[in-house]
Amino acid sequence: MRIQLSILLSTFILLASTGSGCAGSADTTKVSIYKNPDTGLLTWTAIADGFSVELIQLLPDFVRAIYAKHGFSPEEIEDIASYCVFGTIIKNTSGKTLTYAVSDWRSIDAGGTEAKIKTKSQWLAQWKKAGINFSWTLLPDVGTFYAGDWQQGFTTVKLPRTSVFDLKFVWQIEGVEHVGKIKQLRCAVPGAGQ
Amino acid sequence: MSEKSNNCAAQFQGLANKMKLTQLFFTGLCLLLTTPLYAAWEQPTLGHELTALPKPVAAPGFNLRDMDDEPHSFADYRGKVILLNFWATWCPPCRREMPSMERLYQRMQNRSFVVLAINQMESPDHVFAYTGQLEVVPNFTILFDINSEVSQAYRVNGLPTSYLIDKKGNIRYRAIGGREFDHPNVEQLINTLMNEHE
Repeated sequence: MRIQLSILLSTFILLASTGSGCAGSADTTKVSIYKNPDTGLLTWTAIADGFSVELIQLLPDFVRAIYAKHGFSPEEIEDIASYCVFGTIIKNTSGKTLTYAVSDWRSIDAGGTEAKIKTKSQWLAQWKKAGINFSWTLLPDVGTFYAGDWQQGFTTVKLPRTSVFDLKFVWQIEGVEHVGKIKQLRCAVPGAGQ
Repeated sequence: MSEKSNNCAAQFQGLANKMKLTQLFFTGLCLLLTTPLYAAWEQPTLGHELTALPKPVAAPGFNLRDMDDEPHSFADYRGKVILLNFWATWCPPCRREMPSMERLYQRMQNRSFVVLAINQMESPDHVFAYTGQLEVVPNFTILFDINSEVSQAYRVNGLPTSYLIDKKGNIRYRAIGGREFDHPNVEQLINTLMNEHE
């Protein structure tokens, strides 16, 4: 049975402007962190203007298991398992038409360096060259969500496993761009108790 | 994640570190564990909203086979309202919405309505084993899109994605992500489509 009493480590509001050109409004993303008491794995849930993003730490062996099951070569399995992979659930909570593109999203390392997130299309192109035709599991590159739509899939970040970094995510509601940020994300580290 | 699966993951990790299991054993273990682990993400509550397309779009045709290897053509269902659902066994919300699809199917049986659940890239044997584990065994039609060609034709980016198709073969409503399909609002939409003239 699911343990109902979650450990809420912190809830905070990011007040700093993201400099994204989102009509000058402050980033009001509310982020909560849940730590699974059994495994120590963390889940970040960001609730922003009409959009929510949930990032769930996934251990490399879990990622290996997923792709081994779908017939990937050991090389391709190790490649994606070398990334910092998060199970990701995104939801349109706006009641309006919402769009997003993962190519707009950025990881920001401790030194402030921004990097693009490897997209599903980029993975599929790589896998196609390796003769792999499996096109699911990753978070779709782009989406147009109507009221109530939501989606899930893996998000992959190419950073060392011990990195602490921020994720900047971008979405549009009826043409108006919004930007949110989840600070101090961490990869799942095997055996580290997180 | 559920307590059970997280325990499992932790134990798995511990074993991996301590015992240096071989890759082969890893793979076998992975095959056993993948589905429950993947399914263990804590999932959002399912809603019931289906969004009307701005204007009807002709649904792409298809020819697919069912669990018994019987052929099904999209054209066979002309004159019926179709709930067309794209899914896979490893997709947690797909699993969660299936009971509501079955309840809807049971309620609407013998009317001009069908549920067609198009599985992505899995074998009938695998799906058969999977359906045997479900709390509610689906009686609606399951079809197999082995190469995801039909899902590409429908421009499905993620699973589950569902469409409500009218009697003329036009896509009228869409839902991305899991839904409770036996909600009265959904049933009302279906009834409205069934009452339309061809």
